[in-house]
Amino acid sequence: MSDSMLVQNVWLIPALPLAAAAITAALGPKVLRERSHWPCVIAAVGAALFSILLLAVVATAEPVADAKSAGGEVSGTKVVYDWISVGAGAGKFTAPIEFRVDPLTSLMLVMVTFVGSLIVVYSTGYMHGDRGYWRFFAAVSLFLFSMTGLVLASNFLLIYVFWELVGLCSYLLIGFWYERPSAAAASKKAFLVNRIGDFGFALGVFMVWVVFGTLDFDAVFDKATVRFGGMSVAAPEITLICLLLFCGAIGKSAQFPLHVWLPDAMEGPTPVSALIHAATMVTAGVYMVARFTPLFLLSPLATMTVSTIGCFTALLAALIALTQTDLKRILAYSTVSQLGFMFMGLGCGARGAVVAGIFHVFTHAFFKALLFLGAGSVMHAMGGVIDVRRIGGLRRRMPITCWTFACGAAALAGFPFLSGFWSKDAILASLAHATHEGTYAVVYRAILSLAMLTAGLTAFYTFRAFFKVFWGEERIPDEAGHHAHESPATMTYPLIVLAIFSLGIGAILALGFDGLTEFLGGAPGLAGAHEVHSVPVMITSGAVAIVGIAVAWLMYGQPSTLPESLAQKFRSAYELSFDKFRFDEIYSRFIVKPLLAVAEASRLADIWIVDGLVRLVSALPAFIGRIALRPIQNGLVQFYALTMVCCLVVLLVLLIGLPWLGM
Amino acid sequence: MLANYLIVGAILFVLGAVGFLTRRNMIVMFLSAEMMLQGVSLNLVAFSNVWSNWHGQIFTIYILTIAAAEAAIALALVVKLYHRRGSLDVSLWQDLREPDQPAIDDDAEPAASVPAPPAWPTLTPAGVEPRHTDEEIEEATHV
Repeated sequence: MSDSMLVQNVWLIPALPLAAAAITAALGPKVLRERSHWPCVIAAVGAALFSILLLAVVATAEPVADAKSAGGEVSGTKVVYDWISVGAGAGKFTAPIEFRVDPLTSLMLVMVTFVGSLIVVYSTGYMHGDRGYWRFFAAVSLFLFSMTGLVLASNFLLIYVFWELVGLCSYLLIGFWYERPSAAAASKKAFLVNRIGDFGFALGVFMVWVVFGTLDFDAVFDKATVRFGGMSVAAPEITLICLLLFCGAIGKSAQFPLHVWLPDAMEGPTPVSALIHAATMVTAGVYMVARFTPLFLLSPLATMTVSTIGCFTALLAALIALTQTDLKRILAYSTVSQLGFMFMGLGCGARGAVVAGIFHVFTHAFFKALLFLGAGSVMHAMGGVIDVRRIGGLRRRMPITCWTFACGAAALAGFPFLSGFWSKDAILASLAHATHEGTYAVVYRAILSLAMLTAGLTAFYTFRAFFKVFWGEERIPDEAGHHAHESPATMTYPLIVLAIFSLGIGAILALGFDGLTEFLGGAPGLAGAHEVHSVPVMITSGAVAIVGIAVAWLMYGQPSTLPESLAQKFRSAYELSFDKFRFDEIYSRFIVKPLLAVAEASRLADIWIVDGLVRLVSALPAFIGRIALRPIQNGLVQFYALTMVCCLVVLLVLLIGLPWLGM
Repeated sequence: MLANYLIVGAILFVLGAVGFLTRRNMIVMFLSAEMMLQGVSLNLVAFSNVWSNWHGQIFTIYILTIAAAEAAIALALVVKLYHRRGSLDVSLWQDLREPDQPAIDDDAEPAASVPAPPAWPTLTPAGVEPRHTDEEIEEATHV
């Protein structure tokens, strides 16, 4: 496996976007100008082709029958550069830039690069004529570099580096239109909120080093299994490591309580929202938890926490999404909600559930990218207006956008036999399985019922948005002008491709779910995963989705006064949801304001105390000179002689007089 | 015996020092400095006699030689300075003081005290009835 030519050259996948970023940044403003997208397009498509080839190689590779890895792992590594190597013997600290290829990596790579290249192609149409055209493609290339590097990293330090790079790129792209104060604030918020999670992640990496003395994934997993594998009660340090690492995932994947940055990230250009939400950034947290499955499986408490937080987030975001009026914000909250679903799956404490979580990441990437790009297409046509109250009945003017959006919405809602249905069902089945055994079976029972509720809400709010935008009487805002028509081909073709994948990929993977499970079994910690099927769960979730869609149709698909009357009836609940449960206000009051007060106090202390001391020290010599030393420099020879005599007398008194007096 | 020499040397030194500090004529100041040198030389010669060696005497010869050379230079300088200002007063040469310091002029007359204008007695302006106290008013109504 390691000697395969593709694995040896796997560094090309991150290197291509990196080169594109460098070229675009260097030549973009002067030479390339409106051709700035070419390096990025070539790099993204090249990386995507390479990833698909790699997936094929990994899928056909023979598992290594190894004594250590019980199920036969398929993995290969390639050291690109010996980055850090300090010390020797037991305390040796090494962190090479080493890329590893295994089924999980290759699957994520295909998802990132394939969806990424479709988004890049779409962006060439969407961003056309923007002042920062080259800047956009430079940042997107860097983003793809960071994300592929994150997926390929083979030790904790390297994954942390790429983790931070992803955060940086999200900052650059969310704040792309930095002249707008809201965009600048949103990018800052995303960066700072992520930093909170990253701090936990960094502590987790430190803990890994302290406990295991190495940062290499394979070595850590082996040591963890050997040391803590047979324990009936999880060791506290393993639980602590898992929870700290999960902190990073909470930040990056926008889980409660750090979910607040993701909806604000809508301030960036729409392709960026698609990129962040579907293919890259938010899946980093899910990927990370899946990658560290061998650690998480050792601590039922940690997995239960993951599941609980995922469930709470999913329900919370779904409740908020019910009443939002900004189409992109609805989609943003649906992303938060679906990420919650993924974590619910990852937290089931079973290998098959992890596979289900990754399955959902994969299908979600396609239909969420589709939905965002569809929303971008609507926005493009409506002159930047995205408020669902002001637009409506677009299905005749924008048929392609409408029907592809419908495909994405149906997949997201979990309409039977579309991709979202299969992956969501796999997660729900895993949850159902988890209610039968283990210490926390009761918790999982509650999570399962809440997950079902959330699935119904998801179907409802997704189709609420769909019906409001594309159904009913035609409403077109004045800003649209003559733009109110279907988008150009560079924008619609990616939509069609993504729609086909949204419809089909779930079924393909689901019918071959055994195959997917077997395939992912080659990743560390996932060996021996067995798929979970549950026909009752499948029927229930399908029914819930259809009921949700039907209710949405009743309320929004046809003229109805029901929404208004309900909103009137449950006024306070409606407002609470509309105000996003006032998380921003709570954080502002209890965290941001006190911190600002501390910062202001520190600023004053710096100006008055620290700077004051420095100025005092510098003012002292000048002061002494002015009052004491300048007057005696009066130019009189006899005054100088007098000074000398006086000093001589003092000296004589000290040398002779005092000893003589016996002092 | 030694003490007498040292006392005379010390008296010479102190006389020279006091002269240097108090006189403003440059030639007299120079003479005073020479007198301090002689006081020191006398000490050295006395110690040379006590210890019965030549060290002190050798020092003294050095001092005399250097004093002679120094006298030539110093007197030449004094002559040049005299040519510049037409006076031997050392306090005329204060140019090396700090730029913002005032020059010290010991010869200036102290500021004459201007007599204050004589304090003539003032009278209450005529034609205005002085204010009466309550008791006076009371008394007036009862008369």
